[in-house]
Formats: sequence, C-alpha cells, structure tokens
Amino acid sequence: MPLLEVKNITKQYEKDKKVLSGISFDVNGGEFISIIGPSGAGKSTLLRCINRMVDFSSGEILFHNTDIMSLSKKDLRKYRTQIGMIFQHYNLVSRLTVIENVLHGRLGYKTTLQGIMTRFTEEEKKEAFHLLEKLGMREHAYKRCDHLSGGQKQRVGIARALIQQPKILLCDEPIASLDPNSSKVIMDHLKNISQELRITCIVNLHQVDVAKHYSERIIGLNGGQIVYDGAPQELTTTNIHQIYGSEAENLILA
Amino acid sequence: MDTVKSSVTFDIRTKPSGKIKITNWNKSKVVMTGTLLVLTLLSMYGFLTFDYKEINLIQATLDTLANLKLMFLQANLNNFTLAEAIYQIGLTVGLAFLATIIGAVISLFIALFAAKNLSPKPLANTIIIFIAFIRAVPTVLWVFIFAIAAGLGSEAAILGMLLHTVAFLVKAFAESIEELDAGVIEALRASGANWWHVVTNAVIPSTMTSLLSWTFLRFETNFTVAVAMGAVAGAGGIGFELFMASGFYFDMKEVGFITYAILLIAVMLEFMSTRLKKRYIVKS
Repeated sequence: MPLLEVKNITKQYEKDKKVLSGISFDVNGGEFISIIGPSGAGKSTLLRCINRMVDFSSGEILFHNTDIMSLSKKDLRKYRTQIGMIFQHYNLVSRLTVIENVLHGRLGYKTTLQGIMTRFTEEEKKEAFHLLEKLGMREHAYKRCDHLSGGQKQRVGIARALIQQPKILLCDEPIASLDPNSSKVIMDHLKNISQELRITCIVNLHQVDVAKHYSERIIGLNGGQIVYDGAPQELTTTNIHQIYGSEAENLILA
Repeated sequence: MDTVKSSVTFDIRTKPSGKIKITNWNKSKVVMTGTLLVLTLLSMYGFLTFDYKEINLIQATLDTLANLKLMFLQANLNNFTLAEAIYQIGLTVGLAFLATIIGAVISLFIALFAAKNLSPKPLANTIIIFIAFIRAVPTVLWVFIFAIAAGLGSEAAILGMLLHTVAFLVKAFAESIEELDAGVIEALRASGANWWHVVTNAVIPSTMTSLLSWTFLRFETNFTVAVAMGAVAGAGGIGFELFMASGFYFDMKEVGFITYAILLIAVMLEFMSTRLKKRYIVKS
C-alpha cells in the first residue's frame, strides 16, 4: 500500500485558471522524487497541497488511507507533524539561535501552553544536538541564525524538519539560492535522509541534471499537468522538451 | 555630435521653445506643485489680511524678548521648592509611564488580531478602522470624556492617555508584525504549530525590537501629553505647576525653570531609550 496517494487533484485560485489539473500519483516510503518544470507550472502549489498549506479544489489525497481533506483542525496539526518541509529561503526565525530554530520543529507535538512557555524535554534537546552533529552544524548551535551562510541555514532547516520525525520531507527548491558547493552538500544530506532514515523526499528542482543524478523518480510538470512520471534514466530530450516547452539544447541544464 | 543626435532623437522631449525637457510632469508631480502653490498663496493672503489691532510691532517684539530673557536666563523657583518640583516631575513621568506600560500590554494583544498575516482580514480591518476613529479624537478630548465618569484628575488623564496610546500602538505594532517574512509563519504552520506557537516563537522574537522602539517613542510622547494634562485636566504634576506659574502667578522666571526641567527629562528619556536599544536589543 502506498504511503501517499494523490488522486486527480485540481487547484484553481481564480475561475477558469487552473494551477493544477488532474494530478495523480502514488508515493512509497523512502522514495526520492524530484518534481521539475518551468516556473509557474504548479510545483510549489503541488507540494503545499500535500501538507494542506493550500487547500485543493477537487480530488483527494490519501495518507495511510486517510483522506487529508476530512481532517479536523487538531488532526491536521497531527498530520502536519508527520510531514517536514524545507524552503528555498530557509524561513528560519533569524533573531533566534540555531538550536531554538531546530526545536521549533517540535512545536507541532506541544499543547498551546507548552509551546508558549517553550517547554522542550531534555530528550528533544539532545535529539536536536544529535541532528545538528549529523549535519555538521554542532559548533554553530548557539549562534544566531542571521550569522549563518545560506548553506548552513538550509542545514538548520533540514534539522528543524527532521526533528519532527516525519514520514515525508517536502523540499521547495532547497538549492535554488545556494552556490554549487553548498547545493551538493544539501542534496547529499537529502539523499542520505531518504536512504538511511527511509523518509520519503519530494523535492522541487530547477536543475534537470541534479534531479537526474539524485532522484529515483522524476515527475515533470507543465501548465499544472503531469507530463512525465518515471525513472530518471528514461527521461529523454523529447520529455524535457515536453516539460519545458523548448528545445533541450536551448536550456541551461546545470 | 551628429552620430549621437541621430541615435537618440526618438525619445528626447522638448519644450515649445525647443529646449530639452528633463522633468516628467506626471500626476503626482502636478499635485505636489499645485499644493505648494496654493499654500504659498494662502499664506500671503493671510499675512496681508491679518487684524494687527494697532500693535507696535517693534515694541511688541522687544517685550516678548524681555519676557523670554526673564524666562530662560533668570530661571528660578519662587512658589515651591526644588524637592517639590522633583516630586511633581516624578508624578508626571509616573502618569506617562503607567499609560504607556498598560497601553503597550493591551496593544500587543489587540495588535495580534489587527495584523493581516495573523488574523482574518475582516477582523483586522474592523480593528484598524475602529482604532483610527479613536486616534482621530485628540487625547485631551478623551480625558474630558472620561472626566465625566471619573471626575477631572489623574484617573481621567490616565484613562484618556491609555486609550489614545492603545489606538496608536495597535496600529504601529500591527504594521511591525505585518512586516514579518510570511515564510517564517508558513514554516511553523507547516510543522503543525498552532497560532499561539507561531506568535510566541516567531512573531514576538522577530518583532521585539520594533515593538520596544514604538513603545519608547510613545513614552516620550506620553510624557509631553502628561505635562499638558496636568495643566488642562488637573491631573497634577509639573504641568499643573506650569499652568499656575504662567496663568495664575504670571511668574516668568518659574515658567523658565519648569520648561528647563521638562526639557531635561525629555532629553534624558531620549538618551535612555537610545542606550537601552543599543545595549539590549540590537545585539548583532
């Protein structure tokens, strides 16, 4: 049984302008999926439908066979704790320290009062340090986040997502603001996460060759529709042409 | 020269006289210039049509200067002692402090619901419009309105100042909160955090600096308002003494002394707020 079943979902912000139309795919545990497509193809919206930061207009998404549109407010919070998310612009609270930002990932498990008083257990704090250690950020734990470089911020973002103990990690263009070196570090970490921890990674990417190199499966979006869904080895230039709507030779693939 | 001319002539605009135009007369520039012109004409008309009541302008200027000299060069206390003066200043600062602190706490809570990134738009707009009405009425009037219930005095003054402070700070706080990066809120919401978690863990830490500087700014304003309230609303404090000295005893020297005292406090407040901000808030 797949972990996540996306069935025929449609999203429109305005009448007769569909951002997503008839999107269907299944996701298994531990898969590494890249979603590629031109800007405005609906990649970000698709990711946000999965954790219901955006409510889709029709269709259904099943997580462990539960329809996520039917979740109550409380259950939605619980559901979101199982889905980590990392962002192009990291979205950390820049005035707080690294460790405080990592622990924010535990807020979903807290009651209102615990969250307001920032009551984290010693186990949670140890886990936060452990994750930072694994991501090579241990010595920066007490630094304020606005003192970090982009690559370091993204690693804090990953730690914040991992401390949720998620089943799925949604990555919205995680390397779009990073230099090639940091990008490689981040992509290697994501790959490790999916292989070692068996956490499913769904990554929005702009770089076709990065997608080909890292993922087990590529989904190509164009105009809100899936135009390719398959293994990276089978992605032909014709497919790329379909996805980006121009000749592959004219694209900067790196 | 010829080559340059031929390549760029298509977008050079010229005046009827043939000279090259460099200003772009768009709508806002027309409105600005028009406003300035009208204001200048009105001022000229005003000065020309004043009723000067046969004042000898030179004599009047000399008298005023003499008064100013008495006030500021021979400042002195006659009707009360220095200790009393300090006590009265303390009273005025106290009025301002109470109105600001209570106001800031109330404002923070209301501002959370008035910020469009945290609260539904209809609710936020309702609050913003409502407090705009409160702000439109001057503080003194609010004090008089409360004086009907509480009687003229420090209670009415604090209530009036409090209301105006809240109306001011809610708007300022809400705008600071709205400047927060939407992505930060999204990140916490996406991890399952609820509304209060987002407020206490992301909104407050990120906006603390601007919240505090707005509060300090309002404290400085409230100090001067408290001086005025002492005079008009009988709230006591240094403002009342100023009122008595100027309007009752006609004691210019004392007016001068009190003005200096108020100035000193205002400068001290400014100095303190700058130091505090530097030391505790902008740590980076």
